[in-house]
Amino acid sequence: MEIDIKRIAKLAKLSIPDEKVEKFQKEMEGIIQMVENLPNLDTKGALVDPDNTMELRKDEVQPSYPRDEMLKNAPTTAAGCVMIPKVVE
Amino acid sequence: MNNNYEIVVGLEVHAELSTKTKIFCGCKNEFGAEVNTNVCPVCMGLPGTLPVLNEQVVEYAIKMGHALNCKINGTTKQDRKNYFYPDLPKSYQISQFDIPLCENGYLDVLVGEEVKRIGVTRIHIEEDAGKLIHDDTLGGTLADYNRCGVPLIEIVSEPDIRSADEAKAYLDTIHSILLYLGISDAKMQEGSVRCDVNVSVRPVGSKEFGTRVEMKNVNSFSAAHRAITYEAKRQIKVLEKGGEIQQETRKWDDAKGVNVILRTKEDAQDYRYFPDPDLLTFIVSQEKIDQLKSEIPELPVAKTMRYMSDYGLSRAESELLAINKNTADFFEECVNLKKCEPKSIANWILGDIFKVVNERKCEIKDLAITSKNLVEMISLIENKTISNAAGKTVLEVIIDNDKDPKEIVKEKGLAQVSDTSALLAIVEKVLSKNEKAVADYKAGKTNVIGFLVGQCMKESRGQGNPAMLKDMVIAEIEK
Amino acid sequence: MDKLYSLSATQMKDLLNKKEVSSVEITKSVIDRIEKTDKDIQAYISYNFEEALKQAEAADAKIARGEELNDMTGIPVAVKDNMCTKNLLTTCASKMLGNFIPPYNATVVEKLLADGAVIIGKTTMDEFAMGSSGENSALQVARNPWDISRVPGGSSSGSAATVAASQVPLSLGSDTGGSIRQPASLCGIVGMKPTYGAVSRYGLIAFASSLDQIGPMARTVDDTAMLFKSICGKDFRDATSKDYTYKPYGENVKGMKIGLPKEYFGEGISAEVKEKIYSAVETLKAQGAEVVEVSLPSTDYALSAYYIISSAEASSNLGRFDGVKYGFRGSKTNNIEEIYLSSRSEGFGDEVQRRIMLGTYVLSSGFYDAYYKKAKVLQKAIAKEFDDALKLCDVLITPLSPTTAFKIGERSNDPLAMYAGDICTVTLNISGLPGISVPCGFDKENNMPIGFQVIGKKFSEDKLLTVAKCYENTVGGFAVKEF
Repeated sequence: MEIDIKRIAKLAKLSIPDEKVEKFQKEMEGIIQMVENLPNLDTKGALVDPDNTMELRKDEVQPSYPRDEMLKNAPTTAAGCVMIPKVVE
Repeated sequence: MNNNYEIVVGLEVHAELSTKTKIFCGCKNEFGAEVNTNVCPVCMGLPGTLPVLNEQVVEYAIKMGHALNCKINGTTKQDRKNYFYPDLPKSYQISQFDIPLCENGYLDVLVGEEVKRIGVTRIHIEEDAGKLIHDDTLGGTLADYNRCGVPLIEIVSEPDIRSADEAKAYLDTIHSILLYLGISDAKMQEGSVRCDVNVSVRPVGSKEFGTRVEMKNVNSFSAAHRAITYEAKRQIKVLEKGGEIQQETRKWDDAKGVNVILRTKEDAQDYRYFPDPDLLTFIVSQEKIDQLKSEIPELPVAKTMRYMSDYGLSRAESELLAINKNTADFFEECVNLKKCEPKSIANWILGDIFKVVNERKCEIKDLAITSKNLVEMISLIENKTISNAAGKTVLEVIIDNDKDPKEIVKEKGLAQVSDTSALLAIVEKVLSKNEKAVADYKAGKTNVIGFLVGQCMKESRGQGNPAMLKDMVIAEIEK
Repeated sequence: MDKLYSLSATQMKDLLNKKEVSSVEITKSVIDRIEKTDKDIQAYISYNFEEALKQAEAADAKIARGEELNDMTGIPVAVKDNMCTKNLLTTCASKMLGNFIPPYNATVVEKLLADGAVIIGKTTMDEFAMGSSGENSALQVARNPWDISRVPGGSSSGSAATVAASQVPLSLGSDTGGSIRQPASLCGIVGMKPTYGAVSRYGLIAFASSLDQIGPMARTVDDTAMLFKSICGKDFRDATSKDYTYKPYGENVKGMKIGLPKEYFGEGISAEVKEKIYSAVETLKAQGAEVVEVSLPSTDYALSAYYIISSAEASSNLGRFDGVKYGFRGSKTNNIEEIYLSSRSEGFGDEVQRRIMLGTYVLSSGFYDAYYKKAKVLQKAIAKEFDDALKLCDVLITPLSPTTAFKIGERSNDPLAMYAGDICTVTLNISGLPGISVPCGFDKENNMPIGFQVIGKKFSEDKLLTVAKCYENTVGGFAVKEF
């Protein structure tokens, strides 16, 4: 099982320097090897659990936070917004 | 359009729900607030915060599911869709993946004189992202997170749509239903309804679907019509030249009327969906699902059918009245007063009132006109108290004032003259002035009667009863 | 009064109630102790001394007014640095959050403040709680008070070390795969991972949401229970939290059935650790407990399931650290892609990046079914096995760490060896069950603490505390490091 470190890094928005790719690959493959030993299982219905459910929230307004409080940790702000370099879609 | 090809369209409609609060926190769900003021640690995705699902969102979505004849999945969950974008503070969108709240439905829409059934694959709930403001003066992009966490439903259609017109009819009907259910403001200009369009073409008769192209940035339903027409033409042109359609995402530019490539299949995202571990499975009881179904009002297509069968209106008239809940409500209020013919009410609404509504770009509810006054005015015409022309004069007043039409008729002296002796005097005067017309009539050109009656109306300053005048003119000439 | 800092929280509470000392006196003593010893222990990333004194004054005013007091009124507590504290730096021991000042309090912090507790500071940890030695901290590596050349365990390294060093009687840790229980064991203190859902996670910076749980760490069982009582219960901000009311515990194990799952006493566990745990079981037996052997055959798969689920969730949870809204922004900022890449690559340490990569991989298209879905099925199977085993007995007892604390730097270059150390603890996170770490002696060679783990059914924390309390009473209390 060879892991395409570059592809995964791209998805995860990490830049793994070339010299580290092999190290990451080896370590991750070690873990994956351990994981590969999992038995074959029927995974149908694995993702819902009707025995463990949550309650929903009533549609009631709670106060929002002051803008300054919410933006105080942002590296760059302007005009009451978080600012980033120009993004073109 | 080249007739050798068939267009295949599937639509993904995103509609913001008009709940009081956002989907996962208690911040206000409101449009147009000052930037970054409807935000809290939860919707801004601060570390450590957790989402708590708003019950109203689930109920609204289920209502839409019922309206679109879907199966409701009462036991479901929420999933994370992972991708990085600066309008998405958590770098994942909480959505639904393999178990949408509603699925396998359909919607019947009217396309011209046809009823077309379009499959609805699924409706799921998810959170909206923030807004990016591109500001050249600042040399950067600004992120406003007010819209983060605004609840959305995504309605995905089957690829059952075969023309831009069908797409437009489907979108108009969806829009109409959202308003009928009262679950969305559905304001296109505020972006509260948006759609992604999937288009492919195939040779007529082919069973296989062509390669589909997804179009983003389609911001209005008329834009959807233009975008589909454009894209179908583009694909046909490529195929006609012997080319191949690439599976890709294109961006529609409505101003220029063209689309441009946004990303190819190779750049396709891997969203790594998985169940949101912060939100457990949730169950909506069958009782609740049934109760929500019982709350669904009569919807536009059913209304259209009823107007046709009960009131003898044409399909076009019925549809125009039914598609807008506001109009339909007003029409039915008028009909329910049972003072005049539904057909006359429809004519007045679709004629003179719609003219004003269109001019002012408003809705009937924004006008001062009441059902009582409109019906009163129409019944004055029907009982021949006033002429149709006088009716228009009355309408001009009542459209902006809550005033009794009878009062208006009195004040303006609009009452129709039905007194035979007064009318006879007019008829005699007109006939004596128009000997040539009388001669023409006698020579068999009976269509001059309209001219003569018109002259009589003019002489009566519009107050003569035209039906009586017509009878009297004929009687006088043939005497 | 001398050495107020060294008292247990329960003793402090009694003295405060009797008005023999003030909270300010206690707090000053604790501050003084931290100032004198923390250069060796390095337990704290941030001190909150100024605020703490104000909180102590407020507690004293409450006491002076004769108001009805909560157990926690005026008692100093240290908080792991992955729990948000309003206006107080909260770093997760990461460069990524090196400057992050939350605008809100975690629910546990709110609850402590509402009960009148004194928040003394924020303790160091493995970065984003990923690690089991404390060495993965990007900011500060805590030391084991029993031997400061050794690790205190992790990831709640600072919380374990500060309590073990008697800097403060109580601390909050968080446990995703053993991060409360294992450092408690290596530092010779008590640490409890409550049932998943017993304590609100709101404000706990998530590592793996479905496994994370906040819990108490202390030098005595009573103190552990006291802190747990203050923080547990349903929170409307956490949809995964459950209605749970604190239940009082006893000190008698007569007739109680203790199960020993044989899979936990295998080759990987050092003979000495096993011996101490068997001897602890004998002690409980002498107090009237019955002992049965049980089997948990899926244990081998637990670690795989744990790594898949925890990494998958972490990869998504840590997506929000992108250099845009808060936290560290990397050195390259010409466009948004550069901001993402440089902020995340420079801001996260290697271990964090490795887990993000692993999580991204197991969720990626083509692998999701084989890894994540399978892990979720295994999770259910493992939970079921525990349920079945706990039908045969009241509690289970297992080792916590295969060995005692190792020297700093000794193992940090071998992640797989570190992962193997997690085997005894991750099963409870996978199954959602509660577990408590109880000290039970020292190894001969290095005189480093050994602990055993008591496991119970969901929401049976009272039973765990009863077993721990009985053991504590029988052995005449747990040893405290003097220095």
